Amino acid sequence: MLHPSAVRKGVTLRHLTLTAAFVLLGAVLHAQQAPPRDYDVKAAYLFNFGRFTTWPAAGAGGDGAVFGVCVLGRDPFGAALDAMVTGEMIDGKRVTVRRIARAQDTDSCRIVFVSASEDTQLTQILQSLVGSRILTVSDLPQFVERGGMIQFVSDGKKIRFTVNVPAATQAGLTLSSELLRVAAAVRANPKPGGA
Amino acid sequence: MIGANNSSIARTLIGLNTLVSGAALVIACIAFGTYDRTTSRAGAVRTLSVQAQIVGANSVSALVFNDPDTAGVTLSALNAAPSIVSAGIYSNDGHLFAGYQRDDTIETPRPRLMSSDATEVHRFENERITLVRRIVFQGRPVGSVAIQSDLQELNARQAQYVGMIATVLVASLIAAMLMSWLSQRAILTPIVQLAGVARAVSNGKDYSVRVPATTRGDEIGTLTHAFNDMLTQIQERDTSLHEAQHALETRVRDRTAELESVNKELEAFSYSVSHDLRAPLRHIAGFAGLLQDQAKATLDEQGHAHLRKIAQAAKRMGQLIDDLLAFSRIGRGHLTSRTVHLQDLVREAWLEVTSEQGVAGRVIEWQVAELPDVTGDPAMLRLVMVNLLSNAVKYTGPRPKARVEVGATRDVHGETVVFVRDNGVGFDMQYAHKLFGVFQRLHSSDDFEGTGIGLANVRRIVHRHGGRVWAEAETDRGATFYFSLPAKEHG
Repeated sequence: MLHPSAVRKGVTLRHLTLTAAFVLLGAVLHAQQAPPRDYDVKAAYLFNFGRFTTWPAAGAGGDGAVFGVCVLGRDPFGAALDAMVTGEMIDGKRVTVRRIARAQDTDSCRIVFVSASEDTQLTQILQSLVGSRILTVSDLPQFVERGGMIQFVSDGKKIRFTVNVPAATQAGLTLSSELLRVAAAVRANPKPGGA
Repeated sequence: MIGANNSSIARTLIGLNTLVSGAALVIACIAFGTYDRTTSRAGAVRTLSVQAQIVGANSVSALVFNDPDTAGVTLSALNAAPSIVSAGIYSNDGHLFAGYQRDDTIETPRPRLMSSDATEVHRFENERITLVRRIVFQGRPVGSVAIQSDLQELNARQAQYVGMIATVLVASLIAAMLMSWLSQRAILTPIVQLAGVARAVSNGKDYSVRVPATTRGDEIGTLTHAFNDMLTQIQERDTSLHEAQHALETRVRDRTAELESVNKELEAFSYSVSHDLRAPLRHIAGFAGLLQDQAKATLDEQGHAHLRKIAQAAKRMGQLIDDLLAFSRIGRGHLTSRTVHLQDLVREAWLEVTSEQGVAGRVIEWQVAELPDVTGDPAMLRLVMVNLLSNAVKYTGPRPKARVEVGATRDVHGETVVFVRDNGVGFDMQYAHKLFGVFQRLHSSDDFEGTGIGLANVRRIVHRHGGRVWAEAETDRGATFYFSLPAKEHG
């Protein structure tokens, strides 16, 4: 049962919840009853991480005109991510999706999703992003242990995430306590081999 | 003191005071109760709203990142508020995302109250408040929270309030009664004294009593003073009235005695005059007769005529004197009082009248209605009837066929009116007032004989019986004479 307003506002309203992603996917796939793909859920989460994170007022990553959500490497989201951010604003800026190949191309990025295809270059990528005030997200295993900030995990039924608070703090980002509350695990001190 | 508490004014005053203060209290209590109920309900809604806002704010990330467990933890914090029976967090499409129940028997509230554009709605039903609030994150609705609270706290507060009101009400009423009981004494004591004196005056006709003087300057003081003044005035009037009455009585007694003696003298005088007149009259008549016998041969016809005239005049004068004496007797004689059968009396009177000379050979139609019994002096009343009937017979003389009618009516007051009607010569009504005077005649004695004292006798007798006499007539059309007798003869 949808509210009339939800219908009026279209996908932008629905994508804010898990079920919204499912409806959005239905629109893409022309099959509304199909269960949401993991990356549809992850696309929604990726976008929402931006809403629960505070960037410093000055010196934020990017050119300042747009809020870039960047996918580094091979894009696993497809159209879902573009549909998710269309018309959205975060921190007073228009949200745009960029697909980049190198860690040096992160000029307008606030969030960088490191694709699984970049597994081998991860250490270098994270190194190059130090001091860039960019929120790093990935579903690569051991991502937070290796210096990443948010890592998608799956408990078999649900998509969840773990958070590396010191990494974010080092980058000058403040992660909302709300975000930390729903995280599957929170690393206070990065230690190799466990959370 | 002085039984003020038993007086109806005291009861009325106390009742009135109690009623007024009770009514004011009840109205005030209702007003405060209503105000309290409204504000406490508004307060409960406000509290619930705050709780919903807190829960909502703390559930945003859980909703966004699909974490019902965290939302459940947030909701379970409501455990600290015992009045909250259940709560739920709902996704935008209305599905239950996380729920909380105080115990298992309670269902989580349904967010169906939520309309499309309201941020928050609440509803009182089934002894519960349900409040639904939209959860908004960065300008976007992400779901809604519903909290249901029971009204135990409110009801307990209300019950406490009612108990307090009842206590205050009872205490205030008792206080009001006590106060009015104390205050009424100040007002009532002089009134009760006043009432006591008024009763004493009314019952005992004792105008010498006085209400104890008071120094009060209010209406009661004025009333007391005025009442005492009034009593003084009444007492003075009463005294002067008694004196005046006494003086009057003395004067009436003196006058009556005076009048009686004068009247007696007058009666004695007229009696003796009448009586003394008879002797010379007898002489005149006697010597006129002697002269007629002895000088029969020497007197011529004219002399005889003169002698006859002298004899007639003497005879007539004797008649007048007799009548005058009779009239005098009627005025003086004692009046008996007994039941008189008017029917018999009229028949006897009629027989007496018709047996006299001058009636023989006349045609007289005689008609008597049924007559009632009256109270009076039989002999006197007989005289009345004889006079009236004889008048009727006399003045119908010129009628070839005379008619005399007697009847009576009795009105509601018991007064009996007897009438004697004839078809005689009648009289002019303008002389009616002269009819019943002594020696007053409306017709010359040449036409009808008589001394003119009959109706005077009738009037005197009827007056002495306490009745009235009057007549109605028209010249040549007959006359009707009436006399009335009061219900009970009193003289």
